[in-house]
Amino acid sequence: MTDPLLDVRGLVVRYGPVTAVDHVSFTLDAGETLALDGPSGCGKSSTALAVLQLRRPHAGRVRFEGRELTSLTDRELRPLRPRMQPVFQDPYGSLSPRHRIRDAVAEPLKAQGRWNADDGPARVAELLEKVGLDPSSGDRRPHELSGGQCQRAGIARALACEPRLLVLDEPVSALDASVRAGVLNLLADLQDELGLGYLFICHDRAVVRHVADRVIEMREGRITSEWRPR
Amino acid sequence: MRPTAAGVTRALGLVAVLAVVGLLPWLSGRDPALTVLRARSAEQEPTEEALHAVRRDLGLDAGPLSLLGDWAFGLLRGDLGTSWVSGTDVMPSVASGLQVSLGLMAAALGVAVLLAVALVAPVVVRGRGSAGAFAAMAAALPEFLLATVGLLVCGVWLGWLPTSGWQGPEHLVLPAVALGVPAGGLLGRLVADALPAVLEERWVELWRGAGASRARVTAAALRRVLPPLVPQFGMVAVGLTGGAVAVETVFAVPGIGRTALGAARSQDLPLLQGAVLALLALGLVTGALAALVRRRLLGPALRDAGLALPPPRPVRAHPAVPAALAVVLLAAIGWGLLRDPYAVDTAVRLAPPSWANPLGTDGLGRDVLARLGHGAASTVGTATAVCLLSLAVGLALGFLPGAAAGAADIANALPPVIVGILVAAVAGPGTGGAALAVALVSWPPLAAHAAALVQEVRASAFLTAQRAIGASPLWILTRHVLPSVAAPVARHALLRLPGIALALASLGFLGLGAQPPAPEWGLLLDESRAYVERAPWAALAPAVALALLAGLAVSGAAYAQGRGARRAGRPPRRTVPAPRKEAADAVRGTAVGV
Repeated sequence: MTDPLLDVRGLVVRYGPVTAVDHVSFTLDAGETLALDGPSGCGKSSTALAVLQLRRPHAGRVRFEGRELTSLTDRELRPLRPRMQPVFQDPYGSLSPRHRIRDAVAEPLKAQGRWNADDGPARVAELLEKVGLDPSSGDRRPHELSGGQCQRAGIARALACEPRLLVLDEPVSALDASVRAGVLNLLADLQDELGLGYLFICHDRAVVRHVADRVIEMREGRITSEWRPR
Repeated sequence: MRPTAAGVTRALGLVAVLAVVGLLPWLSGRDPALTVLRARSAEQEPTEEALHAVRRDLGLDAGPLSLLGDWAFGLLRGDLGTSWVSGTDVMPSVASGLQVSLGLMAAALGVAVLLAVALVAPVVVRGRGSAGAFAAMAAALPEFLLATVGLLVCGVWLGWLPTSGWQGPEHLVLPAVALGVPAGGLLGRLVADALPAVLEERWVELWRGAGASRARVTAAALRRVLPPLVPQFGMVAVGLTGGAVAVETVFAVPGIGRTALGAARSQDLPLLQGAVLALLALGLVTGALAALVRRRLLGPALRDAGLALPPPRPVRAHPAVPAALAVVLLAAIGWGLLRDPYAVDTAVRLAPPSWANPLGTDGLGRDVLARLGHGAASTVGTATAVCLLSLAVGLALGFLPGAAAGAADIANALPPVIVGILVAAVAGPGTGGAALAVALVSWPPLAAHAAALVQEVRASAFLTAQRAIGASPLWILTRHVLPSVAAPVARHALLRLPGIALALASLGFLGLGAQPPAPEWGLLLDESRAYVERAPWAALAPAVALALLAGLAVSGAAYAQGRGARRAGRPPRRTVPAPRKEAADAVRGTAVGV
């Protein structure tokens, strides 16, 4: 049997005296969607940040593509970071208000030293098209787009990193019902096409049933149950 | 209690300032023995033997540490040393000077409160509006300019009031007005601008609905407005100690400020140490008192943030006002720049305005317009350098908000004039020293603004997203954090430029900045005081230019404030900077900064 894409064991995150995540363990395979469900404040988002190593956990192991991440330094971690990308709840807050969409999508390529003046712009256009954005929206800034368009731009930016895992932190909670369906369908298509693993944080039961292969229920930092919707 | 970064830097800053004061004789580097010998006995030959005796007498040969130790030890016993010039104890001079200054400041505070009440009254009566342009202008006019104009108009032309000395109550009037008007303008403005927004808060409606009388609502609103403004009142008090130096000098009032300035000029360092120490103590004590009053008003349980004031509605200025002021100033400066500021023509000394000399000539027959133009170039040039320096310091310290806050407390308690006196005592008076002095105290508002922006950017999700794509810290800093912070802080610094120029002019006026024959605006005003009866236009020209500069500072800031408010009011745009705050700060800064 091969390694799972993501293997989390005994994860603990504390904020001062408060233990937000208390010995959480789960695995996630490529092409699979694992939903984290629970009331607000139960530690879902803290789990997401700790998996991404954007907030270092106090204890536990995070094994991603067969590599242990918790023991790596920030510098060692940097080349691995593109492989796992977050998509945040606030579609406007996750893009710099000062930059055009085109530059925001191109930035991962530039920051990782993969930018090439010849085919870079074409790659950006291709990514925008892939997430269902009109190429002309590349010239806009985030506040000139709708919430759904912004969320699509955020996904395009994450895809530019060529990730294996997307950590989706309530990606559709801030969107209208009609826009929400469009973004969820986009995520499903991308998963089929690219074989991505999704760690999908959400507390909308209807959405969870619709997208998840497996669901983990969390309460007060602990996993209380695990079930399959289908 | 665990020491905080702010507490540590505050203590360090205080110790550093005290050490600079204590080490003045050693820091100044130049051999004071000669000065002292000359002052004590003009006939004695400055032989090596005699100089050595003086040095031993002053304890200068013992090295800096023992000098500092002796001074600190004497300080603890209430001994401030002996004057190098007069050979008498420093303590009595400082005490009598302090007494006079406290009297003057009390009178000025009275004037300030009267003016503030006059400015606030219409707002209280109408329940809306703001203090308006008059208050803003009064707050921006530097004390030395008001003092000179007051002396010229009420003292010399009208002859109503005595212009110098300290004999009776009538001697108090002009200095108290000159010192009190800027403070009163600032106080009135702060309260009058905050009041209308408070009167629109929900509780006022509720109280009115419950049948509370108008007087009760007004009293409660005033009580609501005052506590958050008390720290600003502390700044006003610090501004008074700085302004006192200029006002006492103009009206020959024997106060502590004039004592300090005189001691700096005559190199009488023990007296200077005592006087500066007294001024510092005055600033720190008023600051502590302000904090105490605030705590009394708030009650210990309330946290600071719990009582933030709603943002005042901005005073809008038509862009034509600052534009017109700038055009007039630039035209005069440009015309003046084409002329020779140093050409002496004794045949036309103190000539009235004519076609050959559009603004007349000064006591040496030099063209006033030319001196004004060239003076502006050097003043604005120096002010720009100071601005850039404080921008760089402010940006750098914006990333260390904890450490910066403590140092900012100390810098805020130091008026530029006192820093100017210290720098001049160490390095001798000069343009560079004056620039350094102003730069040392003009960075705190910029650092505070930068710190707020850095905090805001760092907390935003898009910065987390930057780390997630594997961007290096340097990439994040240079591509995202700095661009978001630098532009608004640079605009803020630009708004402070006229205020900084006025602070430089006030140092020039006191002889602590540019030296004659350099055509510096403050210096021009100071030089023209000598022949103000015979050639009022020579004094009037720099005074009007300085007033125009103050007007430019006020109207420019008000315009930026109004524009910022309009932009913030546009719905979808999420403005990261808070231009209103920066403009409001700049307006205050022009008053406090002098």
